[in-house]
Amino acid sequence: MTAVDEPQSYSGTRKGEPDKTIEEVWAQPTGLRWWSSVSHRVVGKRFIYTGFAFFIIAGFLALLVRTQLIVPGNTFLDNETYNQVFTMHGTLMMFLFAIPILEGFAVYLIPMMLGARDLIFPRLGQFGYYCYLFGGIIVLSSFLFDAAPDGGWFMYVPLTTNAFTPGVSADFWLIGITFAEIASVTAAVELIVAILCARAPGMSLTKMPIFAWYILITAFMIAIGFPPLIIGSILLEANRLLGLPFFDPTVGGDPLLWQHLFWLFGHPEVYIIFLPAAGMVATILPTFVGKPLFGYGFVVAAVISMGFISFGLWAHHMFTTGLPILSLSLFSAASTMVAVPTGVQIFAFIATLAQGRPRMTTPMLFVMGFLFIFVLGGLTGVMLASVPFNWQAHDSYFVVAHLHYVLIGGMVFPLFAAFYYWAPHITGRMMSERLGKWVFWLMFIGFNATFFLMHVTGLRGMPRRIATYPEGIGWDRLNLLSTLGSYILAAGVALFIFDFIRHLRHGERAGRDPWRAGTMEWLYPTVAIGFNFHAIPPVETREPLWNNPNMLGKNAEDVEGVMRKMHDGRRETIGCDPVSGSPVQIVRLPHPTFTPMFTAFALAVAFAATIASAYFVAIAGIVAGLLGFTIWAWEPSDSGVTRDAGMGYVLPVNMIEKRSHMHIATVGTMLVLYALLGSLIFALLYLWNVYPNFAAQTAQPNLLWTGLSMLAGLVLLILAMINRRVAVADKIGLATVMNLAVILASIACTACLALAIQRTDPWGTALGATMWATLGFVALNLFITLYWALFNAARKVTGRVGAGQSLPDFNLATYAKGTAVMVLITGGLFLAATLGGLS
Amino acid sequence: MGSTLDQFGSQTTFADAGIGAARTVWLTNSMSIISLVILAFVMLVALFAWRSTGGGRVWWIIGGGIVFPLITLSVLTVASATTLRSITGEAQPEAPVIEITAYQYWWDVVHHSEGRSLRDANEIVLPLNMAVTLQLKSNDVIHSFWVPSVSGKMDMIPGRINELTITATKEGRFRGQCAEFCGLSHPLMAFEVLVLPVEEYAAYLESLDEDARDAVTPQQRRGKEVFLTSGCTACHAVNGVSENGRLGPDLSRVGARASLGAGMWRMNRGNLAGWIADVGDMKPGAQMPSYNDLSGPDLRAVAAWLESLK
Repeated sequence: MTAVDEPQSYSGTRKGEPDKTIEEVWAQPTGLRWWSSVSHRVVGKRFIYTGFAFFIIAGFLALLVRTQLIVPGNTFLDNETYNQVFTMHGTLMMFLFAIPILEGFAVYLIPMMLGARDLIFPRLGQFGYYCYLFGGIIVLSSFLFDAAPDGGWFMYVPLTTNAFTPGVSADFWLIGITFAEIASVTAAVELIVAILCARAPGMSLTKMPIFAWYILITAFMIAIGFPPLIIGSILLEANRLLGLPFFDPTVGGDPLLWQHLFWLFGHPEVYIIFLPAAGMVATILPTFVGKPLFGYGFVVAAVISMGFISFGLWAHHMFTTGLPILSLSLFSAASTMVAVPTGVQIFAFIATLAQGRPRMTTPMLFVMGFLFIFVLGGLTGVMLASVPFNWQAHDSYFVVAHLHYVLIGGMVFPLFAAFYYWAPHITGRMMSERLGKWVFWLMFIGFNATFFLMHVTGLRGMPRRIATYPEGIGWDRLNLLSTLGSYILAAGVALFIFDFIRHLRHGERAGRDPWRAGTMEWLYPTVAIGFNFHAIPPVETREPLWNNPNMLGKNAEDVEGVMRKMHDGRRETIGCDPVSGSPVQIVRLPHPTFTPMFTAFALAVAFAATIASAYFVAIAGIVAGLLGFTIWAWEPSDSGVTRDAGMGYVLPVNMIEKRSHMHIATVGTMLVLYALLGSLIFALLYLWNVYPNFAAQTAQPNLLWTGLSMLAGLVLLILAMINRRVAVADKIGLATVMNLAVILASIACTACLALAIQRTDPWGTALGATMWATLGFVALNLFITLYWALFNAARKVTGRVGAGQSLPDFNLATYAKGTAVMVLITGGLFLAATLGGLS
Repeated sequence: MGSTLDQFGSQTTFADAGIGAARTVWLTNSMSIISLVILAFVMLVALFAWRSTGGGRVWWIIGGGIVFPLITLSVLTVASATTLRSITGEAQPEAPVIEITAYQYWWDVVHHSEGRSLRDANEIVLPLNMAVTLQLKSNDVIHSFWVPSVSGKMDMIPGRINELTITATKEGRFRGQCAEFCGLSHPLMAFEVLVLPVEEYAAYLESLDEDARDAVTPQQRRGKEVFLTSGCTACHAVNGVSENGRLGPDLSRVGARASLGAGMWRMNRGNLAGWIADVGDMKPGAQMPSYNDLSGPDLRAVAAWLESLK
């Protein structure tokens, strides 16, 4: 291909006027259209501010808890309210504060650190934000209906089934949180692709700022770790709405299945919260030492191994459920092993300190606070891995102390360091160093006063989640002191809020790179331009601002780089090879739009209507959501042209190959989908193994239809491959025909799978219900394949696809292949069920 | 002997009233001390690093992050596995079996002895220095059985029977409590454990097999009559009086218990009367209806009769 100077015109291309400047193309929408912004800076800030609002609400609930426990036999809150309050405290903190606010920082910082003008999928970011906002509002609104969830943030069955929690309080939790989790998962896929596909020229993986490594691993963990909870929540909601008996031991279900699924998510969740915060520490610490992070390679290896280990520890939350002694010992030993990668990181941080003369600033104080609190939390975590000790400490206040040491130490203190550190970047003004030290000491002293004593309270026998306790058995004074400590901690947070509001008007103006940091987000003067870079500079080292005198030595907009020339009046950034970071394509980015917001709103209506049992409204919401996705994707392809990006790079726009950002996103989505399928298969095998006698009562799948479904899966697989080949070869008519063939194969797969288990009664046994749930999930994927193929065919028929624009079919083929393999796996399981002993 | 309420340390893990608790305490204490020492050490290293400018060394990471944790963790793994074995290795086939079933929010206790099933509730009597196998079950949601002074906890899960072998090594009363969140009145679901010498334990079992004490005074007789005519027998059993009620706690020796309402209030006539008249206030979510339509004298009579059942 050669560089084409004149933009090739496609009907309907949303092209800017040729004389528009880069500022105009990237201008933030104003007025009501402000809500339509897709910029990562805007979306990231929205995540951060919304997350902080949930932090304040959840923190207020915590104060209610502590106030209730200030004296024995207190009647400040009744049992019901207390249960709602601690449930919502945990739920908001874990799901609506910790993960979203960290993802917000990642969304805000990653493109600037890596040298991109925006995230790769800005609309997905907006969609995720609104899912999070609406999901959070749904969960919070339960207070208005006097139906706040009261089953604990862990929602153990059977307490949360209809028999013991009638009404809609549990539905608020299950539906609202699942909806908000969509945001976490979409943000994860978005961050994976942004980190792998959009870095500055020359920034290989080993030259990435350490924060990007932390976020990359965390995003993979979210993609794999959230699906078990999503599946668990869907199974429980199906149990509540349809009566499917997944957890009912009288028909072969098991309450422990919920716990396995929950902690398969819940344990990685802890590291998902810790790792981005540790990434902040690893970014802030070198700045104030004035030297690079010591042991970068060790830290990267530690973070990756932590990602793996975290998925093998979930059962240590279940040591008292009566697991066999052998598994107890194995999980116990595995649990302690996570101390190794943690220790590596801690000592890498300490070694970094020794590199130079650290400056004692407020962010640095919070980093040191993190070190103290988190190390102690890690040590009590190792204690809890010891089974005999765990049998005493589990579900006591010792665990409450431990988890707050880990989460507040490991996440909140680094987060406050990040607030002080990046505040000038966001607001252009410095927060007060003097007040900041007060904030730190109030929080540090208040925190330790509250939670250190709880170790003792717990070992003196006080269980968690009790609204009252009897006087005189040894818990009175400890609880009083803990409560007083919590007020001190709250005073620290209140002072922070005061200082934040004060600094917006009266804070000292921040200069360029006010902390003398080495990472690229500080290249431009604070409150930088909306598109991050006039030209994207090549990056040779991990601290470009320290090592490249050209960066801070010039006006930021004069720094040499690629993409200075703007093509076709479109928002665009450079796309790179995932490993080496060398530029391989130009990525076209979307302009502000309301479509994702509309789609998220339609889905929110669908979810909320499900809670209200207004199923027609729910269906209308889903149809509207589908319409939203269709409008979203119905736009001309940008592929098929080549442009000069400057500095000698002549690159294709939205290239068609496996390193395409769209293709990597499709693969990332498949990862999530396979984690969902894996959770269902886990449930199938678990129930089969625990209650073989009930498995024997489950009608076996029909052998003929099972065989046919596998055949249909194979056909789908082959058709998808052919579809890709003819599409890439620009045989547009043939590709349309292949789209239709894929549709037919998808229908055949669905029908054969359903016929294979038509005799299995989903209400008869838990295994039967899980088989239908698995079928439902695979059928959903087949439907998406079908809809996507139909969509691609329609675009071709309406003449919207030209030569060299086969990217949609390229990605559809990957998705269809993945789905076909799901059909084969499910068929294989059914076959095993038929041959292996279901009646 | 008085109730465990108001008794300082009646529910603490820092105790040696049972083999499980006693063998865990040294683990607790040594791990706590070692943890604090490690914390102090890490902070000292950090302080040293803060003051030095000589640069970090790779061996800090390898030594502090890999070698030291591996050694400590290996020691810990061996120590806790040994302790675990010494706690659970006590299972003896001939050990007496006590079946404990958790309900929202109380405990049904059945002693299996010489082919008999002897029922009691909310108070668990254990023989001194003798291993006992507890069969832990649940009738509704997940609960957890925990007597910190005697042994670690074990969950009670619908559809499963979890076995826990415990050996009480000290005479006396200890407080236990449900440790898994089980609903509205989870904080009000406790119980008492009474450890008796073996002979007294045998006598206790015999007393469970006998009919409840006769009503003696006119007030007690009136109380028994109210009990029989007000519907109490639909859920509660009293040996020799009415033995079919199984939905609520067995009351054959309710007056002998030191506490009422599953370990939550002292056992006395006033609390009994208050309980019967307004269960919903004392324990929200309990299945028992409030008998607030009983006349004052009848209420006092039932309370007096129940208190006499020892």
